[in-house]
Parts: sequence; C-alpha cells; structure tokens
Amino acid sequence: MSTFLLILITGVGLGALYFLVASGLSLIYGLMGVLNFAHGAFLTIGAFTGLWISTKVFPNPTTWTFIAAMFAGGIAAGLFALLMEQLVINRLYNRHIDQALVTVGVSLVVTALIGGWFGFDARFLPTPLWFMKAVTIGEAIIPIDRFIYIGVAAILLTAMLSILKFTRIGLIIRAGVENRSMVSALGINVRLAFSTVFFIGGFAAGVGGVLISVFSYGVSPLMGGSWLIYGFIVVVVGGMGSVTGSAIAAMLIGITNQFANYYLTGLGDFVVVIILAAVLLTKPSGLLGKVNH
Amino acid sequence: MLRWKYSRPLLIAITIIFAVLPFLGSNPLAKAGLQQTMAVAFLFGALALTYDLLFGFTGLLSFGHALYFASGIYVTAILINDFNWHFLLAILGAIIFTSVLAALTGGAALRTTGITFAMVTLAFGQAGHVFISRDFGGFTNGDDGLPVNPDRLPDFFIGVVNTKYLYLLALGILVFIYFAAWWITESSAGRVFAALRDNEQRVSVLGLNPNRFKLLSFVLSAAMAALIGAVMLIVSGSGSPRYAAADITIALLLMVILGGPVTRWGAVLGGILYSVLSTRLNVLSEGTAFDSLPSFIGGPLSEPAFTLGLIFILIVMFAPGGISGAYYRARFKYLNKGK
Repeated sequence: MSTFLLILITGVGLGALYFLVASGLSLIYGLMGVLNFAHGAFLTIGAFTGLWISTKVFPNPTTWTFIAAMFAGGIAAGLFALLMEQLVINRLYNRHIDQALVTVGVSLVVTALIGGWFGFDARFLPTPLWFMKAVTIGEAIIPIDRFIYIGVAAILLTAMLSILKFTRIGLIIRAGVENRSMVSALGINVRLAFSTVFFIGGFAAGVGGVLISVFSYGVSPLMGGSWLIYGFIVVVVGGMGSVTGSAIAAMLIGITNQFANYYLTGLGDFVVVIILAAVLLTKPSGLLGKVNH
Repeated sequence: MLRWKYSRPLLIAITIIFAVLPFLGSNPLAKAGLQQTMAVAFLFGALALTYDLLFGFTGLLSFGHALYFASGIYVTAILINDFNWHFLLAILGAIIFTSVLAALTGGAALRTTGITFAMVTLAFGQAGHVFISRDFGGFTNGDDGLPVNPDRLPDFFIGVVNTKYLYLLALGILVFIYFAAWWITESSAGRVFAALRDNEQRVSVLGLNPNRFKLLSFVLSAAMAALIGAVMLIVSGSGSPRYAAADITIALLLMVILGGPVTRWGAVLGGILYSVLSTRLNVLSEGTAFDSLPSFIGGPLSEPAFTLGLIFILIVMFAPGGISGAYYRARFKYLNKGK
C-alpha cells in the first residue's frame, strides 16, 4: 500500500511537470495551428535562467530565491516566446508547415547556442534544503518535491483557466480556438491573442524547466528535446486547444508511466505510446479536442 | 545556365567522376578518411531522397522515418550475428521486416492527418528509439551499439585499405535509390501521390482510396530506408541507438528543405551537403579555427547545429524551395529573358 501511494503521488508529480510543458503547446496549436517544436527550447531557456538566478544572483538558496528563480525562468522563456512569435512566426502567416519547420530551426539554434556557451554536461541547480526532505503519509514515505510540482502546476492551471474564463483576452483566445476567421471577421485583433498565448505558453514551459531541473537533478541544453516529445503525446491525448484536456491527459500519462515502470519493469515509455495509439484509434481528436484545423 | 537536355548527362558525368576519383591517386578522394565521410554522405543523400518521397512528393510530414532506417540497420545486424544468415539474405530479411513494421505503424498513424500524423509518427519513432537503447529482449546491445560480426561480411568490405569499395557500394546504392525514386514518382501511383499532396479531396472524388496510396508511399519509402540502413551497417560497421533518434528524422527534414523538395536531385544534394558540412564543421571546431574569436561567438559557431539551424531558418523564411528551387527560378528567368 505504501509503495502504491508513493508511485501514485510520484505519477501525479510527473503529470504536473508534463502539464507545464503541454498546456502552452496545446493553446498555441489550438489558436494558431502552429506545432511548436521550439517549446523544448523555451523549457531549456527557463531552466538556465533559473540556474543563473540560483547560483550567480542568490548563491544561498532559500524558499524565496527558488520562487524568484521560477519566476525569472518563466519570464525569460515567455519573453523569448514572444520574440520568436513577433520575428519569425508572424511573418509566415497561415503557412502552417513552414511555421512548424521554422520552430525546428529555432530549437536547433537555441540548443546549440546554449550548448556552445555552457557546455552539454548537466549542471546541478541548488535548491533550499527542505526540498530534500520527505513526508510520511500513513506508512508511505514520500519525497517532498512531488508536492511542489503538483502545487505549482495547480496554481498555473487555475491562473490559466481564470485568464481564459474571466478576461477579455481570454474570451478572444477561446473564441479563436473555436473559429479564428470568424473572430477576425468581427473586427477583433487576434494578433494580440497570438502574442498572449505565446507568452503564457512560454512562461509555463519556463517554470516547468526550473522544476524539471530539480526533478531530474540537473540542467542541460538537451533537456528540452526529450521533454518536448512527452508534451506532444500529452497534447494529442488531451486534445488540441484544451487546457483542461492537457491537465487530465498529463495526469493519466504521468500516473500510468510510473505504474508501468514499477510493475512492468521499465516499460513506462511503451505503455505511454500504447495509450496514445489507443486514444487516436478510438477518438482521433483526443479526449477533449476542440480543433479541426 | 544549363539547358534541360544537358543536365541529365551532367548528372551522369558527375557520378562517373565520383566513381573513378578514388582510383586515380593524388587527389583528396584517394584517402580513406574522405572516402568514409563521402560514403556516409551518399547514404544520407539517398535517405533524404526517401524522405522527400514521403514529405515532398506525397505531402506526408512524418517525424518517425528514422525508425525504419534503424530497423534496417539492426535487423540486418541481428540476422547476421545471431542467426548466421548470409549478409545478402539478411538485408532482404531486414527490408521485408521493415516493410511489415511500416505497414502496421503507418496504417495506424494514417488514421490521422496533418500535424497529428506528425506527432503520432514521432511517438512511434520514439518508442523504437527506447526499444533499441534500453535493449529489450537482449537483441540490440543498448547504448553501447551493436557491431556486425566482420567475419560474416565479404573480405573486400573489411579494413581501411578497402574503404574505397565501401565508398563505391554507397555510391551504387545512391544511384539505385535515385532510379527507384524516379521510377516511383513518374509511375501512375506516383502521380496519385502528387495529387494527394495537392488536393486529397479530388483524389477521393475520382474514386481512388487516398489512404491506400498514402500507405503505399509510406511503406515504399520505409523499405528503401531499410536498404540504406543495411548498407550503413556495412559502411560504419555497427548499429547505434543514435540512428533511431528523432534527431535523424529532423536532420532529414533539414536536408530536404536545404536542397529543395520535389526535385529528387535537390534532396540528394541537400543530404550530401548537410552530412559533409556537419562532419567538416565538427573538424573545424576541434581545430583552432574559432580560437581567435571571443568565446560567446566562438562557442556556438563550433556547434554545427547552430550554423545549420540558422541556414535552415533563413531558407524557410526567405528562400522556399532551397537550392534546387533557386536553380529552377534562375533557369526560368534565363529562358524567358528574350520574351
């Protein structure tokens, strides 16, 4: 039972990290039809900014400096996402394949740039000491970092849903996901919604990057690429354009991955691909898919 | 500027020059090092062409093509090492196995279209990469790579002295794949592939089943990728999980965009250029070429992916059609100059 609980909570924690990567991908694709291969690069930029804050700016890690590192990572990644949208994506308006291709190029350049500056070896991101502790629930001993991932993801999920539900720009984004041309036809500036979505997606990925550095005990230029693939899988399973769908799919995949790894000795990645195939064969638009571009 | 009737003889002449250079003494290609680099480059040129068949000609953006290339490498190696098959028979076995694998995975993936198709193929490719690098079933030797048993290969493919025969083998496969792709794209099925890319709805209105032809294109390009993989095994001597990684498929995409899709020779040229550039840029970066530059410029410049990625972005944004596209535009202008 205690093992079960440990695996379950670890799975939810992993799912929380998947959600941070996938939510932005899903919104960007849902609104603009852009398959963003540079999302992994956003994550890496966030992680390296977090590393810089927690080693150079505040060398003694406390809870507050870690929160600062997460914010800085999110904002750096969000600004980079905004810059990319303005300089590159905007100029390829409605050329969806070219937009996807150009993000592949951006991700290569960013990975090589960061690798060239900092090297490809993983670096340790210092965290406050209490991150290493564990809590006891019943008989289960559970490392405390799991709860941090879940808490941060829950806050960002609430924030995103509130923006989508209660603000004007959120309304435009939701309408744009349903039917972009109709929104423009009504004389509403969709471009602003594009930029917002890129910033929000980049921010979530950047925060995710800092947390993933804690989860995988290191920051490396290559981390973005490997997490991006899971982000894609979560987005496809959850359905394009749906933040809630991404959250559900991220939990489903995180938990299954952990249980399969434990009970089927390391077959987690396979089971994830099988879930993907099963969802696509029964419901090609994903669990809560809204878009048919 | 060349006329059309001269360009085919030109291709043949270039091929013959490349074929005889290693045997003529005192030129760079007489050295085994460059022969090996060029052999790998020829194979990537051929592989880029099989990807062009899928992406350029049929309009299917797959991110899992590396799976079938790696399947060709590993199945050949396993059949030779563990089952003692003759190497030619093992290559045939690998092609058949890969075709079945492509029919199954492609059949599932083709239930989706567009970007979702890209993601599903990416996931299949990733599953293949995990399978090879984690060594499930004890067939693939995991991250250490799987060397092919040299005793089971013909003697003239073994040893540094014989690199020129590997070079010729790779060049021969490139020519073979070039003619196969030519034949496929000019056949009636090839016309349907192009029609699917341009307007799928009209193809179904004409009474043809789009998915059947997409699957045909998918399986044909996978089978050719498997053949190239088997030859890559002989040329490089061992399989590595690197060959199954999504990076390979992304590199193929870069090659096709660099050279220009739908022209056949564009993809081949892009593949050869990309392959040579990424090896040569590596050599440059290990030397002292960038030492005089400040480290914040020199560091990224010594990463081939930085330069190649930048070229790639510029081509997609400002020069769609790549090298061959630019050539045809220039030729069109030249031919219409007097009019």
